[in-house]
Amino acid sequence: MANNRYTLKKKNLDNTNAIEVDHLSKQFRIPHERKITVYQHLAGLISGGSYSYEVFNALQDISFTVEHGETFGVIGPNGSGKSTLLKILAGVLYPDSGTVHLNGKIAPFLELGVGFTPDLTAKENIYLYGAIMGLSKKEIASKYDEILDFAELKRFENMKLKNFSSGMTVRLAFSTAIQTDPDILLVDEVLAVGDESFQRKCGEKIDEIREAGKTIILVSHAMGTVQELCERCILIHGGKIIESGETEKVIERYHDILR
Amino acid sequence: MWLMQYRDLIWNLTITDLKIKYQSSVLGFAWSLLNPLFMMLVLYFVFSNVFRFTQEHYALYILVGLIAWRFLANGTSVAMMSIVGKPSLVTKIYIPRQILVLSSTLSSFISSILEFCVLIPLLFIFGANITPYVLFFPIAHVIFFFIVYGLSLMVAAMYVYYRDLTQIWEVVIQIGFFLSPIVYPISMIPAQYLPFYVLNPVTIIIETYRNFLIFGLPPGLKSMVYLVISAVIMMVAGNALFNRLERRFGELI
Repeated sequence: MANNRYTLKKKNLDNTNAIEVDHLSKQFRIPHERKITVYQHLAGLISGGSYSYEVFNALQDISFTVEHGETFGVIGPNGSGKSTLLKILAGVLYPDSGTVHLNGKIAPFLELGVGFTPDLTAKENIYLYGAIMGLSKKEIASKYDEILDFAELKRFENMKLKNFSSGMTVRLAFSTAIQTDPDILLVDEVLAVGDESFQRKCGEKIDEIREAGKTIILVSHAMGTVQELCERCILIHGGKIIESGETEKVIERYHDILR
Repeated sequence: MWLMQYRDLIWNLTITDLKIKYQSSVLGFAWSLLNPLFMMLVLYFVFSNVFRFTQEHYALYILVGLIAWRFLANGTSVAMMSIVGKPSLVTKIYIPRQILVLSSTLSSFISSILEFCVLIPLLFIFGANITPYVLFFPIAHVIFFFIVYGLSLMVAAMYVYYRDLTQIWEVVIQIGFFLSPIVYPISMIPAQYLPFYVLNPVTIIIETYRNFLIFGLPPGLKSMVYLVISAVIMMVAGNALFNRLERRFGELI
């Protein structure tokens, strides 16, 4: 089903939309009894129990577009499907129907420090994480000093990651991830990292990225941040878009449904 | 093409695998070489004294079989875990998931090459018939790599769905060990079973290795063609199954 596939185009600025999501739907099957071994499957066949499951509609008929250079918010209560949407945009999950078009290089920040290995040094982890985020070895080498400076971890470059504090780990992750120079940034509430001064630095970096004309998709529960950063928003509830448009209006509606 | 686009990542993951494998014990790398040597000694004494097999260059014969088999057995067992073992690389970011299996198989392949390097002095010590045909060995080993990689793609993808595959696979590997001519000479096989016995590509690969390394014989055209065909079949089947099962990895891990 070629039309269902997630397509990633080369950056094409003639096309004003960075992201086009068209009639996207995703269902999860939640089995009554989860079978995860061959033994359980065989036992199920012999006892004659039929395979029964409930269908959970995580996303239903989602359509929206995001223009280049826009900061776009996705809000909604817990379990509304925000993260599922973000995962489909990131290419981690396949949609059941509908299409996603992304124009430009994408950097998913669903979690910082993906692939960090405790037994490697900070230096080795920067190269590994950078490669996972799609940077070539050369690119990482040229940005290596900048990464360590930003993370303020120059002294610890040859220390193993397992000896790092969690704050240091997250700083290293953010500093590396931010170097990927993407056209589209997917952010799932990871902005709150490190202590206050590092948070301020992160905020400045995010502003810098916005000013450079990058597209940002922000999923957050922090309405203050959303209001401050996003021009437009969608509100997802029960897998459907129930409000979209100007941030203020959408946040108002969000507060209504929470009441 | 993902292979070119992600070559730095593939290499990085491969090296990381090797680093962690050899860091974890003091003797590290040495252990992985001593293991087949000890196995060889045990099997050599058992089978040459108890069962009284008469096979020319029996010690080398066992050793070549063991090292070849270790690549298949370890390679597939480790690769089986490569998808489930790195959950964040599957559920938090998109990279072609084959990369995880490929880098795991590559690191086993490098280990295997190192084991064969240790074999080289032993070939001289035990008086193998070294001829220029030795140079065909790398080609055969690369073909074997593709067989193991194809198989790894299958087991890694299926393990996401069936978590008791590790136990099942252990048994399969045990059976495979005795269905391949590792500890006994092929001449032991009764003539009526021989046509089926040689259908096993691992039998062909081990015999080919021995011809090149120990007996100094030229490559057999039929064997080489059969190996290439096996590798192509394993790669096509492995990729087809993997691509089919890969769509739901993000939900199941």
